[in-house]
Amino acid sequence: MNKNTDGDMLKIGKYTFKSRLIIGTGKYPNFATMKESAEVSGTEIITVAVRRIDFNAKENLLSYINPDKFTLLPNTAGCYTAEDAVNTLRLTREIDVFKTDLVKLEVIGDSKTLYPDNEELIKAAKILVKEGFTVMPYMMDDPVLAKKLEDIGCPVVMPLASPIGSGLGIRNPYNIKIIKETVSVPVIVDAGVGTASDACKAMELGADGILINTAIAGAGNPVGMAVAMKNAVEAGRLAYLSGRIPMKLYAQASTQMEGIVF
Amino acid sequence: MKININGEILEVKNDITVTGLIAFFKLNVKSTAVAVNKEIVPRSGYAKFTLKESDKVDLVTIAPGG
Repeated sequence: MNKNTDGDMLKIGKYTFKSRLIIGTGKYPNFATMKESAEVSGTEIITVAVRRIDFNAKENLLSYINPDKFTLLPNTAGCYTAEDAVNTLRLTREIDVFKTDLVKLEVIGDSKTLYPDNEELIKAAKILVKEGFTVMPYMMDDPVLAKKLEDIGCPVVMPLASPIGSGLGIRNPYNIKIIKETVSVPVIVDAGVGTASDACKAMELGADGILINTAIAGAGNPVGMAVAMKNAVEAGRLAYLSGRIPMKLYAQASTQMEGIVF
Repeated sequence: MKININGEILEVKNDITVTGLIAFFKLNVKSTAVAVNKEIVPRSGYAKFTLKESDKVDLVTIAPGG
């Protein structure tokens, strides 16, 4: 019997990972805390943005994150059209520190909720898959959309749990479960996790991985929260693999009645 | 001549190439991508790509994000 998650790997297209936790690099109090959080989280994939160089910056992310040690996953945060997202990711092909063709595709539809624009997302995914990218789409928690993205050729789907940075946890756990049953590609819950129990719950529902940024970066002690998330993801995964008991409305005694004295 | 780099006007010598610009800013070529007038310049073409007056150049790299 499996007593741990050793040998249980996350497969995304042609890539294989041991850790099921992906972490973002935004909003940390400083680069040193980001680096330490990444290290203690056990993550193998780190998401980053692509931006104009700030010539006044005193330090940059690459002074802290070694691209030989982590897989850097470029995102399209801030892109509101398929065209902008596709062009942003095409730029990453010229940047050597991206050693894989893995890309996190997000096409935002609304600045208040940061919900994705489904039409633009599908349009961009089609182009990027055709161009040979391994596309990881950030999407609504919508099983129909998940199936469409799988059919397009996305080797993973990434439904949100709740709005980006909201920390609201899993707003619709049943949809995450339905998505998991609908597609055969891995399901990575991306956005909305607030604390360790949210991550654990998502994994117990059958998610294959979690992408977390704000819940770690914005925590009172990001490094402590990074360890908590690592443990939560592993605990949730092992609970899922081990098979939880069915829920029942009434009690079922765990002590036998036979031999009772009084 | 004047060109626009990352949104700011800069005076550069005539006929500067993308390679020259990267050297000028002392950028690490491995972590930099370049677009001129919103068209991506492949790294293999940096040395041959000569900039013109009023070109809009984007020099990009990786930045924190989730």
